[in-house]
Amino acid sequence: MRKTSLFCLTLLLISFFLLMDRSDLSAQARHTVSGTIRDQKSGETLIGASVTLLELPHSSALSNSYGFYSINAPAGNYKLVVSFTGYDNDTLTISLNKDIVAPIALSTGGQALQEVVVSATRNNNNVSKPLMGVQKLSISEIKDLPVLFGEKDILKTIQLLPGVQSGGDGNSGFYVRGGGTDQNLILLDEATVYNPSHLLGFFSTFNSDAIKDVTLYKGAMPAEYGGRLSSVLDVKMNDGNNKDYHASGGIGLIASRLNLEGPIEKDNGSFIVSARRTYADLFLKLSKDTTTKNSKLYFYDINAKANYKLGEKDHIYLSGYFGKDVLGQGNTFGIDYGNTTATFRWNHIFNSRLFSNTSLIYSKYNYSITINSGNNDIGINSYIRDYHFKEDLQYYINSNNKVNFGIDVIDHTTSPGVISASQSSSFNPISIQNKHALESAAYISHDLALTDNLNINYGLRANSFAIMGPGTFYTYDKNGNAIDSATYSSGKVVKNYFNLEPRFSASYKLNTSSSVKLSYTRTTQNLHLLSNSTSANPTDVWIPSSNNVKPEVSDQVSAGYYRNFKDNAYEFSSEIYYRDLQNQIDYKNGAQLIANTNVESQLIFGKGRAYGLELFFKKKVGKLTGWVSYTLSKTERKFEGVNNFTWYPANQDRTHNLSVVGIYKLNKKWTLSADFVYYTGNAVTWPSGKYEVNGQIAFLYTERNGYRMPSYNRLDIGATLQGKKTKKFDSNWNFSIYNLYGRENPYSITFEQDPGDPTKTRAVQVALFRWVPSITYNFKF
Amino acid sequence: MNQNTTIALLATATAAMLFYSCTKTVTLNLKTAASQIVIQGEVTNLAGPYTVTINQSTAFYADNTFPPISGAVVKISDDQGVTDSLTETSTGVYTTHTLQGSSGHTYTLSVFAQNTNYTASSTMPAQVPFDSVTFDHSADFGRKQIEAIVNFQDPPGVKNYYQFIEYINGVQLTKSGNIFVLDDRLSDGRYISRTLRNDSSRLAIGDLLEVKKYDIDENVYNYWYQLDQSSGSGGFNTSASPANPTSNISNGAYGYFSAHTVQSKKLTVY
Repeated sequence: MRKTSLFCLTLLLISFFLLMDRSDLSAQARHTVSGTIRDQKSGETLIGASVTLLELPHSSALSNSYGFYSINAPAGNYKLVVSFTGYDNDTLTISLNKDIVAPIALSTGGQALQEVVVSATRNNNNVSKPLMGVQKLSISEIKDLPVLFGEKDILKTIQLLPGVQSGGDGNSGFYVRGGGTDQNLILLDEATVYNPSHLLGFFSTFNSDAIKDVTLYKGAMPAEYGGRLSSVLDVKMNDGNNKDYHASGGIGLIASRLNLEGPIEKDNGSFIVSARRTYADLFLKLSKDTTTKNSKLYFYDINAKANYKLGEKDHIYLSGYFGKDVLGQGNTFGIDYGNTTATFRWNHIFNSRLFSNTSLIYSKYNYSITINSGNNDIGINSYIRDYHFKEDLQYYINSNNKVNFGIDVIDHTTSPGVISASQSSSFNPISIQNKHALESAAYISHDLALTDNLNINYGLRANSFAIMGPGTFYTYDKNGNAIDSATYSSGKVVKNYFNLEPRFSASYKLNTSSSVKLSYTRTTQNLHLLSNSTSANPTDVWIPSSNNVKPEVSDQVSAGYYRNFKDNAYEFSSEIYYRDLQNQIDYKNGAQLIANTNVESQLIFGKGRAYGLELFFKKKVGKLTGWVSYTLSKTERKFEGVNNFTWYPANQDRTHNLSVVGIYKLNKKWTLSADFVYYTGNAVTWPSGKYEVNGQIAFLYTERNGYRMPSYNRLDIGATLQGKKTKKFDSNWNFSIYNLYGRENPYSITFEQDPGDPTKTRAVQVALFRWVPSITYNFKF
Repeated sequence: MNQNTTIALLATATAAMLFYSCTKTVTLNLKTAASQIVIQGEVTNLAGPYTVTINQSTAFYADNTFPPISGAVVKISDDQGVTDSLTETSTGVYTTHTLQGSSGHTYTLSVFAQNTNYTASSTMPAQVPFDSVTFDHSADFGRKQIEAIVNFQDPPGVKNYYQFIEYINGVQLTKSGNIFVLDDRLSDGRYISRTLRNDSSRLAIGDLLEVKKYDIDENVYNYWYQLDQSSGSGGFNTSASPANPTSNISNGAYGYFSAHTVQSKKLTVY
């Protein structure tokens, strides 16, 4: 198997080198124009801006994650046109008789610096680029939408997109194309965020003030991403205004935020710090009861970033995130958990066609529980920690040809649980052995325009996951008893899983406004979140693949038809997908997942499959903008020992999922927004009878997931009132009502003996939120 | 601990947000599975007779009266060759005659009913002395409550499983959320003080409380533990996939057969 893969890899490398040289066959000299695209007022780099040479309409490039672009073309005079949503176009006249560096500064509304030749054209990247299942969110759209408690939230907004399902009220986990909540790779400036939620899932860890760009890849992700099966949510932080100092923030009912940014050295470096805290616990202090008074319920987070230009070819960045949730009841219970990430990056421009980024990343998620009840005093600590090195290179061969390649090495350590207890405690102190793994990957991908209408992106990611000692590793029998064990010392490889992940996508333009696309993607996942409850639990444990747990594998094929109308003012896309999932994890009856040295003995393994149709229609211009998204899907699982080894619906299987979003700019002062969400219910296991044991009513279950929760629908409205605005100060008031008609959407349905009539049993529904109004005051100076 | 405390903690934390939420009874379109046989039997170390109850399951929305199965042939034998043939003393209730249970012995139940043979076996563990019952006074966000605490020393080096039943003023606590089983996986050799947390019945000062402590075997512990996980008692942290607990009775019967020791403490709530 290894030899064949190496052979394939070599074949791939040879073929792309041959294709690469195709353009150099012409006798005419070629030169490159490159540079960085920034916002003129703040100096922020712009990601995904479109650069074209007017005279060569097929020569276009998009600026990369650092705002860098590069176009290689035959020598000549050209008009370079740069465009980006929300900005005026910019045109530059260049004489391409040698390699040129042309930095671009785009401005919004009003006077453009350079002569404008072409009227603002909206881009048709959704039609022309081969990448499928990609959704980009603009921060302005996120800011205008009404959300729960008035907190602008990326994670809540992506749940309004096709193929993305929400975890339900009070749950910031999300499902992409039927995949589980742990199958989404959530990156903040390249660092993995293991638990992107605050306060048991009511809020996410992303402070929109600090965010520049959000891109969601639904399964068909390019080769530079890997590690999770279903999606990549790539979130990039703002760099900070490198021209002037600014402060901005907001005061809301539940939380407040403050954002400070400014130059370190004008035009050459800047910093940004954003912080946020809730005060949901203040009302607790008003209580007369001492336990309630001493209880805690809050979270805070801080995003910080600094960047500095070392020279014409080098730029360094340092970014970090620190967040914590604290919940506590008097002195009896306390839990705190949080993520810490830090990223150091160095951009180096080798030459006009070769861009490199080197990253050193640290990421840690930990939780800590303390219990002081009678003589049950214990502390439980657990964490997962990564040290990560990445090298990404982008080689812009010419405007039809771009190669990305690189390596990615992560050192994972998980500490599944350390329990500390005093001598008189009811519990023994335990230290479950740490798990150590080394995940390395090498990838190469090639963006190629084969003909004027046919664009392809193909690539390969080779992934090696090595489980390392020190430690003792057990194998188990069907009943969960350890039958064998082997001990390894530090640095020894216990087991290595090697996987090849081919990626392929192609787009064929039918005309300038429509195209069809096709893709195939294989992804693997070696970190698994063990969670046996209906809601995301901060104490869920991450475990790496091992001698008992194989890597999860997903194969996805998708096809789509895309059409833009009225000069790209309207976007329409339709995609169908089919996914095959292997080595999926589920739990034995009565599984003990907490503080269990032999937690792997509690797992069962099986298969999954998911397929669906996604329709998306977006209006991008005018007073009224917004979108409609509809997903029709099915997600199933098949496990030995469950439902007689037949396909059954997964918990997250939801047949219909509809979101309608509208933003209306009424006038200079008022912007109104609304969103409507409807989805049919999750598959659930409910009783089909009852019996009695020892005086207790017990419920009789037949098949798993044979029932459906009732459907969910909700309408939110919001309004933003522009406040005082001067050159130095800007403010607005934001009002919103979550769940306008107060529908009692079921959060859970449970069963019990009727307390009012003990001769009967009843079903009880809990709904979390009815009308939730909120007011936020936002300011900027 | 562990799952229970996490549930308790998360439940109380989210209780803070409950001022926005609501609970109501809903009527669901639930199917009715074919009637299933439910066998419950026990052998204890106290003087006999012991009983085996055989009845059936019903539809969810039917009354809580479970049709008894009459005319079954029920036998319990020990590991010393003694077999007791039980007599049906009232409909669906079968009683032993001379069998006397004691720790360290294995008892086998055999039931012939509805043309099927059902068997189960259970080994009675050694008795672990039950020291005392004390009380925990706490307040969950303003609601004062009193809960019983059971105190005893867990023997080190042995896997022990315990079950507790509470009777308030003579009435057994049987609502959901009142299954108390413990293992010593995380407490081996420790002095255990465990609060019997229940979310339905509240103890009041002056109530007459009886707490019974059973030492049960591993299969019976797993049965009750799984039953508790799937009891649907509480919206937060409900098991994602409730299922029927693994019974130690063969051929798909519901219920359990348990050989356990019994100790009882009676006191007034203070």
